[in-house]
This record gives sequence, C-alpha cells and structure tokens, in this order.
Amino acid sequence: MSGATFLILLALSGGIFATGFFGLMARRAILFQLISLEMMLAGPALAFLAGGAWHGSQQGQAMFVFIIILAAAEVALGLALYLALRRGADVEDSDTITGLKH
Amino acid sequence: MSDLAAIWCASVALACAILAVTRPAIVHALIWLVAALLSLAGCFFALGAGFAGAVQILIYAGAIVAVFVFVVMTADASPEALARERARLAQGWRRPAAAVGLVALPLALGLLAGGTSPAAAPDSGPSLGAILFGPWAVAVEVASGLLLAALMGARHLGRRREEP
Amino acid sequence: MLSPYLLLLLVPAPPLAVFLILGLDPFFLRRKAVQALALLGGIAPFFAMLPLLGLCLGTECYGVMPIFTLVFGQSEVALALLLDPMSTLVGLTVAAVGALVITYAIDYMSDARIADLRRFFALMNLFLAAMLTMVLAGDTITFFFGWELMGLCSFFLIAYNTSLPQAVAAGRKAFIITRFADAFLLAGLLLLFLEANSVRLDVLIPAGTMMTEERHVVIALLLLAGALGKSAQVPFHTWLPSAMAGPTPVSALLHSATMVAAGAFMLARFSPIVMSEPAVQTIAAIFGAGTAAFGALSAIFQTDVKRLLAYSSISQIGFMVLAIGLGAPEVAIAHFVVHAMFKSLLFLAAGDITHGSDLGTSLQAMRGALRRRPISFLAYVAGAASLAGLPIVTAGWWSKEAILATAWEGGAFGIAIWVLALLTATCTAIYAFRPVFEALQPEPAHISHARRGHPVALDLHYRPRWGSGFITLPLVLLAAGSLLGGIIVGPIIRFLGAEAPHPAHLPELVAAVAPFVGMAGAAAITFVPALAAAVAGARDMRRPTRLDRKFQRWVIEPYVRLVRFLAGNRIGARAEAELELRHVQIVRWLSRGARMDGIYQALFVRPFVNIVRWLNGHRGGTVDPVGTFPVSLALQGTQALVERLAHDRFDRFWMRLANRLVRLWVLVCAIQTGRSRDYALGAALGTAALLVIAWGTTWN
Repeated sequence: MSGATFLILLALSGGIFATGFFGLMARRAILFQLISLEMMLAGPALAFLAGGAWHGSQQGQAMFVFIIILAAAEVALGLALYLALRRGADVEDSDTITGLKH
Repeated sequence: MSDLAAIWCASVALACAILAVTRPAIVHALIWLVAALLSLAGCFFALGAGFAGAVQILIYAGAIVAVFVFVVMTADASPEALARERARLAQGWRRPAAAVGLVALPLALGLLAGGTSPAAAPDSGPSLGAILFGPWAVAVEVASGLLLAALMGARHLGRRREEP
Repeated sequence: MLSPYLLLLLVPAPPLAVFLILGLDPFFLRRKAVQALALLGGIAPFFAMLPLLGLCLGTECYGVMPIFTLVFGQSEVALALLLDPMSTLVGLTVAAVGALVITYAIDYMSDARIADLRRFFALMNLFLAAMLTMVLAGDTITFFFGWELMGLCSFFLIAYNTSLPQAVAAGRKAFIITRFADAFLLAGLLLLFLEANSVRLDVLIPAGTMMTEERHVVIALLLLAGALGKSAQVPFHTWLPSAMAGPTPVSALLHSATMVAAGAFMLARFSPIVMSEPAVQTIAAIFGAGTAAFGALSAIFQTDVKRLLAYSSISQIGFMVLAIGLGAPEVAIAHFVVHAMFKSLLFLAAGDITHGSDLGTSLQAMRGALRRRPISFLAYVAGAASLAGLPIVTAGWWSKEAILATAWEGGAFGIAIWVLALLTATCTAIYAFRPVFEALQPEPAHISHARRGHPVALDLHYRPRWGSGFITLPLVLLAAGSLLGGIIVGPIIRFLGAEAPHPAHLPELVAAVAPFVGMAGAAAITFVPALAAAVAGARDMRRPTRLDRKFQRWVIEPYVRLVRFLAGNRIGARAEAELELRHVQIVRWLSRGARMDGIYQALFVRPFVNIVRWLNGHRGGTVDPVGTFPVSLALQGTQALVERLAHDRFDRFWMRLANRLVRLWVLVCAIQTGRSRDYALGAALGTAALLVIAWGTTWN
C-alpha cells in the first residue's frame, strides 16, 4: 500500500464519520439518527483497518471487533428505546423529548 | 491494484453514506445504509482484512440491519410523513453542516500535516485471536459485559407494562 | 496423561450444577425430581473427595490444579485449586457433613411448597459448593470468591421465610456484619498480593512471612478481623443468634462445618503469617478465649434451644481461634472436624425433636423427647456429651483436651488462658446438658402433636416414633462420629504435620472432672426449683419493652429512692438490694449477648440513618446539599463580606458580582435544552476544538 492510498483512505473514513455526524445533528427522527450513528461508527472502523493494513498489524481488526460490539449494543438499546417511546407516547421526533432536562 | 479497489469501495461507501443520511424516506435510507456497509466490507477485503470483511457482512449488514428492518416496519411511511421529513431537513441543515465543517477542517489539516512514515511490514503478524484473548483479554471481558448490559437493558425497555 | 488433581474440579462441580439446574429450572421439575437432584448434588462431593483422600494418604499429598492464568507485567493472577493435608481434611469434613445435612433436609423440608423447596435446595447446594471452593482454593481470588458467595447464600437462607419480617431482618444483619468484616479480609489479601505479586497461596504465604515489620502487623490484624467477623466472634457475634430464624438444616450447615467455621479455617490457612507475629497471636488468643467464655456464659441463660446452640458455636469457634492464637493450627483443625460432627448432630437432633411443635424451638418443646422421638433424643445426648467433653468416650474431649494441653504448655500466659478455658469447659457442660435434662421432664399438657406445622386436632397427625431413614441415617452416622471420633484426633494432628501435645497428669485429671461438675450444675438448674426459677426469672426480665424501661426509670426508681430516703438510709439493706440489682443486670446482659446490638444501633445505624435523612431534607437539612452548595456558598460569602463592609463602593461591587453570578447561572441553564441534537452540536464543537488543539500541538 502506498502512502497516498493510506491518506486517501483516512480522508474517506473521516468523510464517512463527518457525514454521520451531520446526519445526527440535521435529522430529527430517531430512526434516522440511529442510522447516522451507524455511519459514525463505520468511519473509524475503516480508519482502524486502513491503519492496520498500513502497519501490517492485526490490531486494526481487533479494534474492529470492539467497534462492532459497540455498534451491536448501541443498536439494541437505541431501538429498544425507540420502541418504548413509540409505545408510550407515540414520539418519533427526538426534539420533543426534553424531559431529562432538569 | 488492490489499493485502487480499496479507494473505489471507500468512495462508494462515502457516497452511499451521504445518501443514507439525506433521504427523507426511512426505507431508502436503510437501503443506502446497507449499500454503504457492504461497500465498506469490499474495502476491508481489498485491504487484506478478510475476517473484518466477513464480520461486516454477516453481523453488520446482516444481523444489525435485520433488527433495523423489523423496527422500520412499525414506522410511519405515509406521504405526509415523507413531506414532513423533507421539510425538516430543508429547514435545519445549515448549522449542522457548519459544525461538521468545523470538525472536518482540522481533520483534513492533520492529514496534510502528518508525514507518511513508511512502516508497512508484511501482514504476517500474530493471529487475531491471539491478540484478542492474549493481551487484550480484559478489554474483551469488558466488551462482553457491555453486551450483557445492553441485552438486559433492551429486555427491560422492551417489556410490556400493565396498563394502569 | 490426565492429572489426578483434575478430581479437585469435580468436588465443587456437582452442587454447583445442581444449583444451576434447580435455580434456572428449565424443566419444571416435580417434587421427587427436585429432592433426588438435591441429594445427588449434596452427596457427590463426598465421593469425589474419597479418592483424593486415598491419593493423599498413599503418595504425595500436595498438588495444584491450575484453572486460569493471566500475567500482568510482574504480577500474575493464577486461579487454581490446591490439594494439601489441610484442604483434604477440611474438604472431606465439609463434604461429609454437607451430604448428611442435605439428606436430612430431604425429609425435614418435605412439606414445603415446591417453589420454596427448589429455592431452598438450590441455595443449599450453592452454599456447599461455595464452601468447598473456598476450602480447596489454591489462590486468594478463588478463596475470596467462595467466601463471599457463602455470605450471600447465608443471607438468602437465613431469610428463607420471606414472609417473616424478623427472618429478613436477621438475614440482612448477618449479611451486613459479615460484609463489614470481609472488607478487612479483602484489604489484607490485597496488601498481601501487592507484597507477593501473586495470588497463589503457595507463593503468597511464604512471601507474607518475610515482609517488613509494620506491614506484617497490619496484614495479620486485617486477616484476624476478617476471621472474627465471619466466625461471629466478639465483637461481631450479634448476627449469629439472630440467624436462627432460618430453617434447622440451614443452621446445622451454617454452624458446624461452613460459614462460621470458615473464619477459623481461614486463620489456620494463613497461620504462618499470623504466627510469625507474636503480638497478633496473643491478640487472637485473648479474643478466642474471651469469646469462648462469653459464648458459654451466654448460652447458659438462653431459653431457646437453637439460640443456645448458636452461642455454643460462638464459644466452640472461640476455642479454635484460641488454638491458632496459641500457635497450634493443627489442633484447631482437629477441633474443627470434631465440632462439625457434634454441632451438626445437635442441630439436626434438636430440630427433629422440636419439629412442628407449638412451642417453636424453645427449651420446653424438648420435653418428652425420649417418648416422642427416642432415636433423636439419644443422638442429642451423644452430641451433648461430645460438646461437654465427657472424658475418653467422646470425640469432643480429645480435641478440647488437645487445646487445653497446648495452653498448659504455653508458660504463665498459657496457664492463665488454661484456667479461663477450664471454666469455659465447665460452663459448656452446663449448657450442653440443660436441654437434655429438660427433655427428660414430662411433656407439658398443651403440646398438640401437630405434625409439621399443621395445627390439627390432637393425636390425629401424631408423628411416628421412628423417623424415616433420611432422618435416622444422618443422626446415627453423626452420633457415631461424635462418640468414636476421638481416635482420629491424634492421627489428624500428625497428618497435618505436628505432634499431638502430651499434657501433664494433674491438669488432665482436673480437665476430666470439669464436665461432670458442669453436668451437676445443669441438673441443679433444671431440677432444683429455686435455681430453675432464678434462670427463668432472668429470662422474663430479658425483654423489657420501651414502655417498661420508661416506667422503671421514671416511676419505680424514684419511688425506691424515696422509700429508702424515708427509711433513713439503712446501709445494710441498700447494699443488699444493690447487690441483687447488679446480679440481675449481669444475667440480663449475658442473655442478650452483651447488648452489642444496642451499641451497634446507637453507634453506627442511627447516625447513618440520621445523616441520610438530613441529606434528604428532613430535620432542617437541605435537599441535595452537593448541588446547592456552590450557589449557597457564593451567596453566603457575598453576604458575609457585605455585612463587614456596610454600604459603600465595595458593597456595590460585591453585590454586582453576586447578581452577575445569578444571571450567569440563568444563562448557563439556557444551554440545557434537553434536545439530543443540541447536545450533539455541543459535542461537535468540542470535538472540533480538541482536533484543532491536537493539530496545533503536533504541527512541525
């Protein structure tokens, strides 16, 4: 792998992360925000794997395993929360949930 | 050759990601999410990380998205909801875009600044399992605790309460 | 080639598996299946221990079974099971007593509801597994794991009758007090780990004996405190008599071979560390002897047979701690083995005799035992004889004699301890035989022969005179052990690598007479009406209610003083009355376990409750003082300064500052929108700032 490829991959992973971040802030529906969070996790995963390939180390893949565990936990809790909110008060707009303010 | 494939797949993933976060219909967004994840998996294969690619396809694009699909089935997909979503996005995209620009700028500057030290050793290091269950065993244990907590939390949140 | 030490894993595994099956119960087992599983889990460890004993007697008696090893830099965390003479012997005792108690419980608990039965046997099996794990542990982590698991199980088992508030309270008390003492043990073990960089006992203990002086004392004291708490020694003893709220098999297991004895075992296990520090050793001896005497004295004045046996456990384990304090852990282990046999026998027999009686477990419920349950009564007599230590024919005499002989050989201090221990042994005989003589008396007329808690018409549910095999077999085996076990005391001590002490003839003769004196005393306080009335009177005064105390203090005492004053202060009468009063007070004090509960309540519980109340805004406290503290501090600070400076420029300056603080607070609160997107925006800005800083610092 050439250094230029590595830099381009890092830039792309940063782009995917930034896209997810943008979605998280711009969208108001909870499901879209969860999808954006997935993108935010996918970006660093690419960066880790690119780094692992660049340094010839398996630690990149090991970190990827952790990221996928984190994503699984996040999705399980996020979707459960979404369903609970839908069932309780029929909320799907995250801006209307401000009860934890104080 | 594999470099080009990796860059191409990652670029496709970025494009799909942009589409995924900007589509007003949730089903479309989900399909673009799957596309982004699958092209990332292709990128991982191109980088020589076969295990990560397989896991990405099986667990991420398979299991996690499947859970999404179940939930999406309960979502509102009427034309009104579509219009409302579009209106919301048109109304409030500027501030987030500015903030993301603020984040992306130093990232890009860091890329330009950092030298590319040639350190590419052949990919014949210790196997993945030896890392995970050797020096990183504690982290794996902590991660398993996280999964257990998520499982119990999802069970707790998802239980059916008796109507008062 | 499989290591023979793999068998070590098989010892705690069956009860653990039975716990999992019964606890999760995926099959909705029937009553018979639950009982069969429980029996299997209870007996299997004993048969797993037998080949290990053979291995230990035959070839080399030392083996380690590593389970899991993790290396962190210099330190290593190595979980392992250990086979050495001490763990073999104690493990065998625990497995045997556990098997017999669970066998007994099959019949004893057969009337419980199926859900309760499952819970009971699941927890009993877990309890047994925890104790076996602790005994066989080859490292401090496994050891502490078993130790804590046992504490948790004892909490659940003592609070088994969840409908009784006092049972739940007793369980909670046991849990909190032992947890408090466990903190000391944990601290001691962690300090040892830091010293040795390993958790394996075979590395840890030699490293522990070679430490520097100060740490050594601290660690030995911490270990001693942990053992005193688990073994219910003074000042932690209050949980044990309350723990009698659990069912009888629980008490039998808890008090004989497990839980309370675990403290003594732990001290014996770590005895090289304790013994290399003479001061700590002396403290252990004093605590042990003091507790033994205190427990024996308290036991005399109990009116409930289970509470009496509880104080006797406190006293007997005091003897074990005393033996360790005298530098003879081998003798302590021998007493451990013998005590496990006769104490479980006493609990099982007493439980069988009083089972289903209207009088609960009070001493009166023992009456007429010879006619109602002859085998249980004879078994109880055997156990009481062993507890009292009747010479030659009982096991208890041999082990207690070994402790007394060790004390006799210990110089002037040892002889003082010997005298105290001898008096204790006399008291032991008194309380051991009180229930026996009580049982010889005719049954009170109003005992209905209700079987197992069903209050039915008289004689309809009369219990058969001969119990089922599940009850008889454990009683017969344990009685045989309690009487004939004396012949193994010497071999046990030699097996553990020490010489049995040979006492001089005179003290041995004196010690042999002591139990008979005690028996005579027991007969006297049972059959001489005046003395019996005195003991019973002490019992009636035992629980004055709050109203009683107020009445005593505000009405009776002033009246007595007034009468005395009017009578012209006749000194003779007054001294006599005071003497009388003091006598009553001492008896009352002893029968309530030295009122340690009240002291704990006043010293720890009530201040804690008060602080919590105050923090919640009761009694003039502030709600959430931590949150309101900065604001109130700012306001109070400005106010204090304003008072000083009167109304001038400084005043206005400070007031403006204070006002601005409040306005700033409102402004900061505006950031709190509660919307997740706004927080994400905040996170983005923070990330951007951090990235800029990172970029700036790595710029070259």
